[in-house]
Amino acid sequence: MKLNTQFMGQTLIHALAGVPVTLEITIVTLLISVPLAFLMALARIKGRGIGNRIISVYVSMIRSTPVVLQILFLYSLIPTLLNYLLNQVWHLDINIFRVNPIVYAFVVFSLNTTAILSEVFRSALLTVGKGQMEAALCAGLTSWQAYIRIVIPQALVSALPNLCNTSINLLKSTSLAFMMTVKDIMAITKVDAAFGYNYIEAYLVVFVIYIVLCTVVQLLFTFIEKNLSGYKKLVAG
Amino acid sequence: MLEVKDIHKKFGDHEILKGVSLNVEKGDIIVILGPSGSGKTTLLRSINFLERAEKGTIDFKGIHTEFRSAGKKQIHEIRQHTGFVFQNYNLYANKTALENVTEGLTVARRVPKEEAIRRGKEALDKVGLSDRYDFYPSQLSGGQQQRVGIARAIVTNPDVILFDEPTSALDPELVGEVLNVMKTLAKEGATMIVVTHEMSFAQSVASRVVFMDQGVVVEEGSPHQMFSAPKDPRTMQFLKRVLREDFDYNI
Repeated sequence: MKLNTQFMGQTLIHALAGVPVTLEITIVTLLISVPLAFLMALARIKGRGIGNRIISVYVSMIRSTPVVLQILFLYSLIPTLLNYLLNQVWHLDINIFRVNPIVYAFVVFSLNTTAILSEVFRSALLTVGKGQMEAALCAGLTSWQAYIRIVIPQALVSALPNLCNTSINLLKSTSLAFMMTVKDIMAITKVDAAFGYNYIEAYLVVFVIYIVLCTVVQLLFTFIEKNLSGYKKLVAG
Repeated sequence: MLEVKDIHKKFGDHEILKGVSLNVEKGDIIVILGPSGSGKTTLLRSINFLERAEKGTIDFKGIHTEFRSAGKKQIHEIRQHTGFVFQNYNLYANKTALENVTEGLTVARRVPKEEAIRRGKEALDKVGLSDRYDFYPSQLSGGQQQRVGIARAIVTNPDVILFDEPTSALDPELVGEVLNVMKTLAKEGATMIVVTHEMSFAQSVASRVVFMDQGVVVEEGSPHQMFSAPKDPRTMQFLKRVLREDFDYNI
């Protein structure tokens, strides 16, 4: 067996063009999911009622289904549904099938990541002892001031390791976006590989790119964690 | 100045407070004694609504309300004029000693930052921590943390300071430094309600000692009266048990 290094070099250059797409999906998804998930976590901790029921059913549904299924299901469902609503019901005459497929990727991955992150944030908020809140209330802060200034900053620090996990998982699962015809790293290399049947070489290239990307993300989180958790360090003296 | 009447509080089916009343005048140092489970801490926590009592009224700073029906505003107002010192300090873990103290000024009372820092430093100086302004709670000993807790409670000039077993979580050799700070405050005329097991503090500092057992006030009076001539058998028994080793007394 001999690796086609010339092919690998070419594919690497092609695949690198997909890196911005992968990063775009990851970052946009996080920007949508993090605030939404945080609000959901707060809502679940603070209150009861029908809203909380809906959130927990949603989280449970997302957790109980494979990402691949979510992608296939939503990618078939949303366009058909929207097409029916916009054109058959409201007669707006919009061609929904011409929307950039990356938009579907944003939707699917956001739905998925929000559910997972809401549990990450919920557990992080619960790690902050209730004495912290009580002390803040006794000092005359309102419960929102206490959340924003005392509880949430501590919760975020304990959420960081899991946030890193979720971000990396997200980054890796964006490789499934090729199922929605998004031209990310995976999609580009698969096309290249199919041309001359150089699958092993192509996958090796993808392998290396993802390792590099994920390592960078991990280093980034390690750096952030180091900077934010200074108050936890016990210094002799 | 502060009067609570007929507080009742249940946790599930367990009735912790069965009608407790307490009247506090300005400058009073009230020490609440009693065996564990007698409702001392719950009484203190009910006064500033960390627990919601089912029955009873509170009179404080012109507010007269039922505990059960007190609104957000009234609770906020009452908390603005009380200080609370916790058994396990509860310092904000993500804030330095100075920030712990100034938080209630800058955020809750809109005091300008420079003034808050000046007053915060004064409060920390008072409890003997002028060299620990920028230390995080995790870098302080238990006694130091509790003294920050006291500074945090006094910096807002509250009308009354509530102490919930402030020395119970401390190593024995650290108890003294906290009690000394409390004694200084008492001498300066602060109004305090103290739940404690420190008998010597009750004897030497209290203006009134309240003895609670099983959710009611059994007996109250001056320290001298309570320690040398308790009337109720339950008080006698309790004192006998806790004072067995270090105190001679006549009945």
